[in-house]
Amino acid sequence: MIHHPLAWGGWTIAALAAAFIDRNPYLQALLLLVVINVYLPYRGKRRASTWKFGIALAIVPIFFSVALSRFGRHVLFTLPPIPIIGGRWTLDAVAFGASTGLALLLTVAVFAVLQTTVRSADVVAVLPRPLYRPGTTVALALAFAPKTLAAFQSIRDARQLRGQRTSWRSAPALLLPLLLTTLERALQYGESLDARGFGSGRRSRYRPLHWTAADLLVVIASLAAIVLIAVLPAVPYNPYVNLVPVLPNPDRLLAVGLLAAPALTASLLRVDHARHRA
Amino acid sequence: MPVIALDAVSYRYPEADRPALSDITVAVDPGDVILLRGASGSGKSTLLRSLNGLVPHSTGGQFRGRVVVCGLDTREHPPRQLATHIGFVFQHPDAQFVLEDVEAELAFGLENLGLSRPLMRKRVEEVIDQVGINPLRRRRIDTLSGGERQRVAIAAALAMHPDALALDEPTSQLDPQAAEDVLQVVLRLVAELGMTTVIAEHRVERIAPFVDRIWTLDAGVLRDQPPRVALAEGGARPPVVDLALRAGWTPIPLGLRDARVHAQRLPAVPANPAPADGNGPIICRLDGLDHRFDTVTAVRGVSLTLRRGQVVALMGRNGSGKTTLLKLIAGAVRPQRGTVTNEGIPAYVPQDADTLLFAASVDEELRGQSAEVIAPFAAWLHRYPRDLSSGERQQLAIALMGARADLLLLDEPTRGLDPQVKRALSTYLRTRARAGAGILVATHDVEWAARTADRILLMADGEIYADGPPATVLSDSLVFATQISKLVGGGWLLPEEVPL
Repeated sequence: MIHHPLAWGGWTIAALAAAFIDRNPYLQALLLLVVINVYLPYRGKRRASTWKFGIALAIVPIFFSVALSRFGRHVLFTLPPIPIIGGRWTLDAVAFGASTGLALLLTVAVFAVLQTTVRSADVVAVLPRPLYRPGTTVALALAFAPKTLAAFQSIRDARQLRGQRTSWRSAPALLLPLLLTTLERALQYGESLDARGFGSGRRSRYRPLHWTAADLLVVIASLAAIVLIAVLPAVPYNPYVNLVPVLPNPDRLLAVGLLAAPALTASLLRVDHARHRA
Repeated sequence: MPVIALDAVSYRYPEADRPALSDITVAVDPGDVILLRGASGSGKSTLLRSLNGLVPHSTGGQFRGRVVVCGLDTREHPPRQLATHIGFVFQHPDAQFVLEDVEAELAFGLENLGLSRPLMRKRVEEVIDQVGINPLRRRRIDTLSGGERQRVAIAAALAMHPDALALDEPTSQLDPQAAEDVLQVVLRLVAELGMTTVIAEHRVERIAPFVDRIWTLDAGVLRDQPPRVALAEGGARPPVVDLALRAGWTPIPLGLRDARVHAQRLPAVPANPAPADGNGPIICRLDGLDHRFDTVTAVRGVSLTLRRGQVVALMGRNGSGKTTLLKLIAGAVRPQRGTVTNEGIPAYVPQDADTLLFAASVDEELRGQSAEVIAPFAAWLHRYPRDLSSGERQQLAIALMGARADLLLLDEPTRGLDPQVKRALSTYLRTRARAGAGILVATHDVEWAARTADRILLMADGEIYADGPPATVLSDSLVFATQISKLVGGGWLLPEEVPL
């Protein structure tokens, strides 16, 4: 299995490059399959709540594209001249929005894999000593984000319980208590760090990370994928020009296929579920 | 030589109009266990924070006198230098976790001290055994229960091999079983390691038999007394002490074990519990209520009626579905199956009352309320709501939410409250019930429920599995039983009820 955060970092860069450079639907679908196959063996018992967000994010561009774009030759229907939404609604616009949405879904999926597999303790452990303090601060900030979102949700719920509507106008009323809650928490974190000896001198490492053959394999595969993606010509997709995408070249498919290396190593070396169980 | 010595310590927070600590001189000998008690806002957390230097290094303000811990003056040594001498466990364990998983968290403080890898490994293994958290070592912290998190927090503090441990109400957020588990850990450390411990705790009944001294704080003034003297004087004390004082038992027993000798002489008269059903008009009817969150069933087939004039306590371990049931009744969550029929206006007050208060002053929060609602808060109108004590914030939130409602749904309203504020809350709820409101309170506080409720519902795994008067339900239960019930049985729950 893959432990090293730098190996996952390399894989993430390669996967994001593939998601953004190649907008060909065949390649996007293949990449999505690859990412799901990488995610599954590493997720342990965790629920995939991020995916819901990703799917919601993928639908938004389809809606905007089809509602706002009047271009394309494959007309689905025509609305009377109503401002903004009136005119021809086209399949080309749906395809364009779907392609954009799929790229966003892939981005969320890649970060979901990163979030599942990389622990902030490991990130802090691989940082050079001069970067330890800012690194810990970043790790804390990352841990802080979901708690801040939860605080925002509870403040919003509380407003609704008091019969107050939540809209853009109420944003300042929501933000003030959120800011105060966040500040209170930040102070508590600061106290906790102080009480646990943070910054008292030279720091040691409990479990330094070592490179394994699987880590190296993933790094090599990710580097190869990056090179292929950067060097080989991209397979563009513009549904307004040609609705049916062209089939990608085998070398392009190989570049995306290389990103399955973590899934391959997991199945070959058996994932240590104990380490990743939730 | 004392491990901890305070010499004429006074402290005032920046911009505060009165001192939080006033002229405190006290010492703690090695191996002593100190129970720190006092009302909300009396200065308990401030005193504990002064022991590891967070006061004044982190807070600022005016500090006078000296706190010396293991020979180190806290004015000259910041908290990070005192970390190896005094471990600190916060009220909210989440506030002190930095990393995602348990073992990394245990090692975090040791890494900060720059210890060698073999020594860190040894310490982590030792502390895992001492606190009994081996099954948790590879778990992510966000998957742990409240009690498990608090045990990990204690272990993380203990891994630094401190000479003393300061714990700031470590069980205030926990259900009875989880609180018991955490206190067991603390008591084991005291018994096996002779750890010098200062613990602020409202659940005094579990810890009282094991303490050497009791510190009572009242508006920043500290009294240091032997346990029997302190408990006889008043303040938060175990129900068994109340019974002992009433019955004239000497010496005053501090725990159940000592009290049993005296209790054998009590007449064996069974209680005659009043029926729980009540005869007020129905205010809420639940019929076959089901609710799931993804794969977890939160509420399963719940059918019951709530009546006006009745205070009902809903009890059960964390995660049993209590909060979801309250939200379903309040209409904050829609049931996936079954119906909720409310004959009145429901108001739900969540666990964290802070989230309900977002105005710049109490006056602004209360704007538009009747004079009757505003009257109790007349003295605080100019104050910023978050500057109020936890009990005061809770009172304000309940008053705001309950002003126009006649079905009050309260989620853990006694969490972190001192006995005096809890009694005031009981009185308020009883008054509202007498005035015709229906009241349903989710709580872990067995003693408070026994004193306040007419009816108890026990919930587990989304189902109501016991429903009846307190004398029946709480005397039958092993976990949800009052201390007096454990002592004398017979359906008696409170010290003042027991026939002498």
